Amino acid sequence: MLPLSYAFRNLLRDPVGLLQKVLGSALVVLLVLAAASFNGGMNELLRSSGSPGNLIFLGAGSEESLERSEVPAEAEELIAAGVPGIAAGEGGPAVSGEIHYNGLLALPDGTAAQGLTRGVTPAALRVHRQVRLVEGEWPAGGEVLVGRLAHHVLGVPAEELAVGRTVLLEDEPFRVAGRLAGEGTVVESELWFPRDDLARLLQRDTLSGVVARLEDPSAMNRARADLFTKQRLDLALAVLSEADYYAELARFYGPIRGMTWLTAVLVGLGAVFGGLNLLYASIASRMQELATLQTLGFRRGVLLFSLLQESVLTQAIGLLLALGAAALLFHGLWIEFSTGTFRMALSPGAVGLGVATALLLGTVGTLPPALRCLRLPLPVALRSG
Amino acid sequence: MNPPPPFLRCRGLTKTYQKGPNRVTPLQSLDLEVAPGEFLALMGPSGSGKTTLLHCIAGIDHPSSGELWVGDSNLAALDRAQLTRWRARYCGYVFQLYHLVPILSAFENVELPLLLTKGLRRTERRERVRAALARVGLADRAHHRPAELSGGQEQRVALARAIVTDPELLVADEPTGDLDREAARQVLDLLHELARDNGKTVIMVTHDPRAAAEADRCLHLEKGRLLEANIPAEVAR
Ligand SMILES: Nc1ncnc2c1ncn2[C@@H]1O[C@H](COP(=O)(O)OP(=O)(O)OP(=O)(O)O)[C@@H](O)[C@H]1O
Ligand SMILES: [Mg+2]
Repeated sequence: MLPLSYAFRNLLRDPVGLLQKVLGSALVVLLVLAAASFNGGMNELLRSSGSPGNLIFLGAGSEESLERSEVPAEAEELIAAGVPGIAAGEGGPAVSGEIHYNGLLALPDGTAAQGLTRGVTPAALRVHRQVRLVEGEWPAGGEVLVGRLAHHVLGVPAEELAVGRTVLLEDEPFRVAGRLAGEGTVVESELWFPRDDLARLLQRDTLSGVVARLEDPSAMNRARADLFTKQRLDLALAVLSEADYYAELARFYGPIRGMTWLTAVLVGLGAVFGGLNLLYASIASRMQELATLQTLGFRRGVLLFSLLQESVLTQAIGLLLALGAAALLFHGLWIEFSTGTFRMALSPGAVGLGVATALLLGTVGTLPPALRCLRLPLPVALRSG
Repeated sequence: MNPPPPFLRCRGLTKTYQKGPNRVTPLQSLDLEVAPGEFLALMGPSGSGKTTLLHCIAGIDHPSSGELWVGDSNLAALDRAQLTRWRARYCGYVFQLYHLVPILSAFENVELPLLLTKGLRRTERRERVRAALARVGLADRAHHRPAELSGGQEQRVALARAIVTDPELLVADEPTGDLDREAARQVLDLLHELARDNGKTVIMVTHDPRAAAEADRCLHLEKGRLLEANIPAEVAR
């Protein structure tokens, strides 16, 4: 067995080559880490936003988007009365008729951005169990609740949306009455208005949808809800579980996630193919030495292992570099998109993927040149000076 | 009195290289027997196949056809992995171009083959490396890297590396090529000693008739065949 120090010293033999390999792999790993933290954050947000026990009733034909859906206002009561298995909450059944609206938010100083708003009644808290009022109180007319991440939507510090401050929706001012926490769901970047205020502002008398929480999220209860929509064709409703709704949204964002992976993979392939010459050259320059070691009696497996050790060391340096850069560049960065806000994080999964990428790069970059070199007949390799 | 059975025996040893449409046959149905403890010198013009023959004898190259026995091993029948094991145990090789590992010191270069000896303690290993370096007169150069050594010193490090495992067979490709008279004298004395006193079989390629004269026997390789040569007498004149 060759000592590990041999691998170490071989690394330092060509510092420029080492630097190239380290930077190349760090770049690829960094992109993989970025893609993994971005997609992991988005997936986690959408996954945790959909509770399997909640049913969403929307206008038939607009299953993909609450913001585009319309259902008659009376559907809320009809659902509460007619769908079996709905949970009973404090003060009434767990049924929440809501208006979802993507509107123009602004601060008095003129800062403005598009953001998700909901018009709700107190019933909303009976349905969305992850959502809690962490500060302030339920809004009266002219007031609003802000999600604890909603300031990211406007790109301002959290104080700008503190209780007592003013936020404008479509130029109408609302006083912040309280703050919402939502266990990592999309609600955390939303603004919740009294439903009547929003209806008046938007001049609509319909709801976007009705969300109902089932006592027991069984297939039977879901089938009954489905049956209800078929019996009340006049309401033109479709029903799906909240989990399915967000899974569908996640599918909608699939291409974006695909793009991030594709970028990482393309740059990775570019790095590997671009670097392959370098990798071949760096091993080929040691062809004679590897042959000499074989004549001394070192098995090819031993030499391959030593070469792999070198590459693992190289990749480890690249990986550390990439992790450091990721921590500086995007770890903890808030990303806000049309459905919510999430945080890019170097989760164990993302780091694991980074490690796997580094190992893969090391293997792909080492095995082919090493095998080509070790496969040569000894006399040929010995003459290759 | 019967002569002892040969340590090395080639019968009809042939090596051909196919280079594009050209066929090169450096070794053409060659016969050779070397007794145990014999010091044999091989001479021949450049390109006559001396290195090729040494490669075959040392289990580095495979003959195209013919028989090749060294000790109890039928080298022509061993595969690559078996030859690797065989070399580690039985054969020391001094390359024409030394082939030292540039990032390792003289000491570490000589130590390399001993890393393959199982159960050898570190202290004993170091002792053997020191002894081998002392034998080639380089005890004081142990911690120099090849780049910090002269050609002749590198050649002697290569020799130390070949003898450190105390192999039965020592094969040396021009081991005195880069040495001055004095250093060459020392190396030849050492080879002689290994053969005569330690019973090792030594096969040396050389261009130098004076070096060849030191050997027990000298053969000429020409056009793929071996001819007895009696250079020593000529040189003596
Ligand atoms: N791998 C190979 N492929 C093709 N031809 C080869 C190969 N190896 C050696 N030869 C040829 O075999 C012949 C003998 O080469 P070899 O190296 O054995 O000569 P040599 O006697 O050692 O020469 P020198 O004294 O210059 O070292 C040469 O013509 C050489 O070109
Ligand atoms: Mg030669």
